Amino acid sequence: MKRAVLVALAALPLISVVACKKETATPPSGPAQAGVPPPPPPYQMRPEAPAGDRLAAGRDGKALFEYHCGYCHLVGGMGTNLLTKQQVMAGASPEMGLLANRTDLTADYVTAVVRLGKNAMPPQTRVDITDPELDSVSAYLGKGK
Amino acid sequence: MKLTLPPRVSPQQFDTALQAMARVVGKDWVMASDADRDAYADVYAPGPAEQWPASAAVAPASVEEIRAIVRLANEHKTPLWPVARGKNLGYGTSAPRMAGTIVLDLGRMDRILELDPRLAYCVVEPGVGFFDLYEHIQREKAPLWISVPGNAWGSVLGNALEHGIGYTPYGLHARNLCGIEAVLPDGDVMRTGLGGMDNNPAWHVFPMGYGPTWDLAFSQSNLGIVTKAGLWLQPAPAASLELVFDIPEAEDIGWVVDTITPLKISGLIEQNVFVPSWLGKMVLKGQRKDFWDKPSAIPDWRIKELLKQYKLGYWQVALRLYGEESVIKAKAEIVKAAMARNLKDPPQENWWREGDPINAFEITMGVPSAVPLQMSDWIGGRGAHMGFSPVVPATGEHVLGQMRRSRKIIADFDIDFYASFTINGRFANNVNMLMFDRDDPGQIDTMRKLFSTLIGETAKAGYGEYRTHLGWMDSVMDTYGFNDHALRRFNEKVKDALDPNGILAPGKQGVWPSAYRDSAKEGRA
Repeated sequence: MKRAVLVALAALPLISVVACKKETATPPSGPAQAGVPPPPPPYQMRPEAPAGDRLAAGRDGKALFEYHCGYCHLVGGMGTNLLTKQQVMAGASPEMGLLANRTDLTADYVTAVVRLGKNAMPPQTRVDITDPELDSVSAYLGKGK
Repeated sequence: MKLTLPPRVSPQQFDTALQAMARVVGKDWVMASDADRDAYADVYAPGPAEQWPASAAVAPASVEEIRAIVRLANEHKTPLWPVARGKNLGYGTSAPRMAGTIVLDLGRMDRILELDPRLAYCVVEPGVGFFDLYEHIQREKAPLWISVPGNAWGSVLGNALEHGIGYTPYGLHARNLCGIEAVLPDGDVMRTGLGGMDNNPAWHVFPMGYGPTWDLAFSQSNLGIVTKAGLWLQPAPAASLELVFDIPEAEDIGWVVDTITPLKISGLIEQNVFVPSWLGKMVLKGQRKDFWDKPSAIPDWRIKELLKQYKLGYWQVALRLYGEESVIKAKAEIVKAAMARNLKDPPQENWWREGDPINAFEITMGVPSAVPLQMSDWIGGRGAHMGFSPVVPATGEHVLGQMRRSRKIIADFDIDFYASFTINGRFANNVNMLMFDRDDPGQIDTMRKLFSTLIGETAKAGYGEYRTHLGWMDSVMDTYGFNDHALRRFNEKVKDALDPNGILAPGKQGVWPSAYRDSAKEGRA
């Protein structure tokens, strides 16, 4: 849990970091200056494609989420960046930008957003993520009651 | 989305065709519900997505399944629109040009068949995405880099076949293709180049072959379905240096191009040099309404304020050198001296050496990211974008002319100007990014008129687009008018010879088979 929070906090300044990175000259050596954003996070590898029949029920929702949704929803991802901003503006803590940390999502909501899309997120086809895979992911993310 | 049938196919015939296809791929991989049709629609359609409706999607898992589906498509006259991963965002996503075409989704064919670190190439299937290939290379610890487009969610082969561009020394993605396997419109399968022999080990390293060379005939093409291809990769360099120059004024793009192009052609600069205008940075800082709360274009005085406040130039050149450190240092001195002829401020310098971490946003180091898609949040709502993408010779004269023309037209429509030039050698790709709210009919109408005006006026000046959205594929092909449209006539002759039933991607890039030429007037934006 501690690690998850640290990782999530690292995601907070992402938006400004992405935007400012090429604008703020950092001296080649010397101490970090106050107000200079920290460097962007390293690339976060997704797990390997989870083994098994893509049409089988009951596979590992966490692994499926990280593999199929990780393009955008891991640390530094496009979805994480936008959701972090939204969550902070709504008064939530920045680590809630990571879907895996959310406790207010329901399985039905996750399924609907994946299939219908929402704002910047395009709808996902059943080749992107099959129905049984989505069931597992929705069960994993849907921690809300 | 409601069902739109292919032309001249009855509901019963369509159902029979889908059932036959389900016997090939399994019923779960034939997707024909209203929700499926929505998922395969153009999420950024400039107008109703119903203008380019797929009737269904079918997802084969092997070359043999593709061949069987193609034979069935011929038998039942149900045309197919092949997509690799279907992420051609801004150009139509996975939606077909002709209403009722069945999307042939190759996303399940996602094997990396070969990775050769010694000769620096791989062989991949169309469903392999940039993230997949990048991560495979990391796991294998292979000393190879890939080249990625701005948004790297899509397919490596799909992007190369659509003539996508990246920002490394291997940034001209179609040029990296070497040796293609393709299923032809009659269900036959062929291999290009030395692949025409059985088991020739040089298939993916010799780019020509014996006799006519067909690799690129399958790019932006409806002559075959690419099922695997060789792709050249960049050997990982020992070091790299990024030189970041902020360029103050819009008109400076002329000398920037005249400075960089000779260095690129000579080989001193190896990468494709990306030069985005200021708005490319601003879109990541927030939403448009945070900076300008009126629907009208951001006026020049406000742009000046924003550039000052955020310490931005009108353009930014983030130029990267690759190789041995001593060589990079020597090259950097030459680049800096050349830029200093017109720019007094020295560049920011960012060194990377083998073993240093690479952050998640280094597109010029071949790290895949979808973060540039954040620009869809700039306008808000279901943000959408289209790129108007003409190609010009890489000289100050041509680039300035192109910039002034686009800028004036876009200003006349009261739209923000967001352009980039990518210097690829002797030519520059200009992308004019147009962002809009899909749910605002007024904006859609303006965008459609603006896009058509840009195509027309740019063609009058003598230039053409290298890639376009479904709704303008015919308009752009119309601009290729030499000798009574000899190019289109040739394309259509070849198309009809190889695909007499016209079942493969009718209308792709404005090339129509005779079987469906009567549909060419529909689906134009």
